Amino acid sequence: MSVDLDVQNVTVRFGGIVAVNDATLYAKQGQITGLIGPNGAGKTTFFNACTGRNHPQSGTVRLGEQDLHGHRSSNRAHHGLGRTFQRMELFESLTVLENVRTGPAAFYSSYRPLGLLYSTRKETKQIKARAEEAMAHCHIAHLQNKTVGDLSTGQRRLVELARAIATPFKFLLLDEPSSGLDVAETHAFGKVLSDWVNETGFGILIVEHDMALVSEICQQIYVLDFGKIIYQGTTREALSSDLVKAAYLGEVSVA
Amino acid sequence: MNQFLNYMVPGVADGSVYALAAIGLVLTYKTSGVFNFAHGALAATGAYVFYEGYVEQGWKWPFAFLVSLLVVGVLGGLILERLATLLASAPTVTTVVATVGLLVLLQSLMTAIYGASDKKSGDFLPTNGPRVGDVTISYGEMMITGFCLGAALALFAFFGRTRMGRAMTAVVDDPNLLALQKSNPAVVRRLSWVLGSCFATISGMLLAPKLGVSVGVLVLIVIAAYGAAAVGLFENLPLTVAGAFFIGILVNYLPSQTQKTQSLFLQSMPRNVPFIVLLLVFLFVPARMLTERGVRNARRFKPPKAFSLPVTAAGLAALLGLMIAVPHVVAETDVTVYSAFVAYAIIFMSLGMLVWMSGQISLCHLGFAAIGATVSGKLMTLGFFGWLPLVGDKTVSWPVAVIIGGLVAIPFGAIVAIPAIRLAGIYVAIATFGFGILLQQAFYLAPVMFDGASLVQHPRPGEEFSVGATSKRFEPVEGTSAGLFGIDFSNEKNYYYLALSVLVVMAAIVLLVQRSRLGALLRAMADSGVALEAHGANTNVMRIIVFCLSAFMAGVGGGVLAGVTQSASGNPGGTFDYTVSLIFVAVLGFCGRRPILSPILAAFAFQVIKIYPPFDDPTMIKYRGVMFGALAIFVAVAPALNLNTLLGTRGKERALDAEGGGGGSSVRDRLDVTPVRPVTIRTVEEPVLLGSKGSGA
Repeated sequence: MSVDLDVQNVTVRFGGIVAVNDATLYAKQGQITGLIGPNGAGKTTFFNACTGRNHPQSGTVRLGEQDLHGHRSSNRAHHGLGRTFQRMELFESLTVLENVRTGPAAFYSSYRPLGLLYSTRKETKQIKARAEEAMAHCHIAHLQNKTVGDLSTGQRRLVELARAIATPFKFLLLDEPSSGLDVAETHAFGKVLSDWVNETGFGILIVEHDMALVSEICQQIYVLDFGKIIYQGTTREALSSDLVKAAYLGEVSVA
Repeated sequence: MNQFLNYMVPGVADGSVYALAAIGLVLTYKTSGVFNFAHGALAATGAYVFYEGYVEQGWKWPFAFLVSLLVVGVLGGLILERLATLLASAPTVTTVVATVGLLVLLQSLMTAIYGASDKKSGDFLPTNGPRVGDVTISYGEMMITGFCLGAALALFAFFGRTRMGRAMTAVVDDPNLLALQKSNPAVVRRLSWVLGSCFATISGMLLAPKLGVSVGVLVLIVIAAYGAAAVGLFENLPLTVAGAFFIGILVNYLPSQTQKTQSLFLQSMPRNVPFIVLLLVFLFVPARMLTERGVRNARRFKPPKAFSLPVTAAGLAALLGLMIAVPHVVAETDVTVYSAFVAYAIIFMSLGMLVWMSGQISLCHLGFAAIGATVSGKLMTLGFFGWLPLVGDKTVSWPVAVIIGGLVAIPFGAIVAIPAIRLAGIYVAIATFGFGILLQQAFYLAPVMFDGASLVQHPRPGEEFSVGATSKRFEPVEGTSAGLFGIDFSNEKNYYYLALSVLVVMAAIVLLVQRSRLGALLRAMADSGVALEAHGANTNVMRIIVFCLSAFMAGVGGGVLAGVTQSASGNPGGTFDYTVSLIFVAVLGFCGRRPILSPILAAFAFQVIKIYPPFDDPTMIKYRGVMFGALAIFVAVAPALNLNTLLGTRGKERALDAEGGGGGSSVRDRLDVTPVRPVTIRTVEEPVLLGSKGSGA
């Protein structure tokens, strides 16, 4: 069964402002799809609409066969839709290991009526294994006993990613995950994402300003401007499109 | 027409004073992001300083007014600005602890100096005026209303039309950015706090002639301004003023209706209008309209150093051993104090679990304890639940009664959790504050609780009791409560051990929660509820669970506490007064964040320390609240304390200059603002300039 992310005709208004206007996007499993656009285009609002953080006035969000319309954030997560945040949302007072373990623990907590109160032996085993695997995947196993508040931005980004990977999500939405990383860190980060998609077969929708990263890892790109999807196509096509360049730079001609 | 004027005229006058207090509150919150729980105490302090000058020293009222305005309004405002700056990056819980600490400090200081009884400040504004029908509209009332409306209009215009006004709104969001716009954020902040404090001081002085100079009454009345501020969503000044007038008129209108009833509960409604309005706003206004002010780049709590399991177990065993030994090493007459200490430790433990483990806050915890105390007391004496197991002839046994008392507190915990589900941290604190006062002023009076001002008997196991007749029950009830293992609990030592055994069970519950998945998720929720929700945890259910569990423990603690004196009273200033909930938060605030040790230390500081030298000195006891408040403030601001923040921005500049790093340039020139760096992006063919990296969508 496919777990593609299918967003149809989503509109989000804040009072009189239309932040996302009739946006439609289809992100396939097994590949990384990019969502780009200038600041204020509505990318994070679009993400929030997908994950239930805001309430679209119209449109549908489906993950595979599951209609997520009207579900709260935790339910959408439960159906396999995970996300990271533009402004990192880490459990600052916990260690790296505790952060990464909390992801799957939160996920399993709503599996059983008493799941919030205690974890079964089987769950504990799974959480441990998943956390170790995710930390190894993100190359942060050596940091596991450090408090995340003491880490560099790059390391913190990796912790956030490891937490998402450790959680049994089927599709990830990553909001500017390379923000604050240097070139080498960004490259390594991109490799982690590609490896994860290749190994699991799941999909990623990524909002990113770093076009080097986008061109490196994304197979498909959607361009959002003033809340509307103005372009969709392969990465190569998108990055050479005059329409896309104009959306980013206004009327300035680009070389 | 006369009837209409009878409540309209005083209603508008009261509304004007509420409005003045509320404007000051909104002004400081809007411009600093720090909600000042001490706003009412500041008003009371202004009234006392005025009273000192006008009545005690015999100064002319304008001079006394001016002195009070300068000392409390201006100087107080400047001090508060420093405090708010130190709290700028503190977590919400810390700002609540600090401002509640200030409230406790000022309230205790005024009580220590002037005593708890009312002082008459005398009418200093003219009381004569034109008569309309049977109602005299005094010139004094006209002046107050005129001043209030003028101030509201002036401030509205100031915020909307002047550069400084806009700067005052902006400073809370990004002071560094404001500094780049040629506005000095420190000056802007100072002006806001001085204005806000002056409004509080003026409202205190204007209220004093009508209500008398009493710290308890004045604090409560100004807290009533929270209702008006809530109508303005803690931001909109015109709406705040409208809300104040609405509340003022309603407070004066309702007595004509409620006096017809016999119910004390209904009769208390008029004075509870502000708190009911407050809670209604929190329950029904969309959450997006009540966002927390200020940049919450809050520094997170560093977790307390974790000890290994054997070390923790050994420490807890040693602590338990020490507490078991207490009745054998302290004076026999002091054992009762230690029994109360154990009961307080249970209540502190329930509060600590809520505050430090889950990041929630409750300013009504003694309300839960009062529910537990009254319910368990009534079950043992009047036996409402005579059909339950372990029940004597008409009453239930002590353990069952105390547990049921805790269970009855649970729905109240769930009610308090509703704002916690909907709203951000500071509004939860305000809602619980309002709920605590509402509990005391309305529910404590209900027959199922303290039934007016009567004492609720709370016999120990196997002890005789005698409950007098009430308006609802004409026959007195006498009897003996069910015994427990044949032990004589009139012996203080035995009751101490009974209380200690309950404490051990409660500590076990806390440890169990802490080590369970729920504990791990609660700690994560304290850091980022959003992230936890995004990973599948239902944070709403978690909030309800932790509030209910905490309320249960506090209810049980209340039952144990009432057993110490074998009675419970809901009188103002008594064991279950709403102010005690505030003192609890202040005391817990400076006793660390360990789940077991900190509550025990807090209970020791609150209950036991006063019987030992030098704290047993009457002066020390008198100023105990001042010390609690000062310590809470100090611990809250300590992480941010350094020379630069103490001296302020100008001081920082001087300090930099003194180090030779300044070169005479303004501090704004040296603000750490990273220039926007263009980022080159690589397309398939060649790099293209796009924009700054890391900026938001």
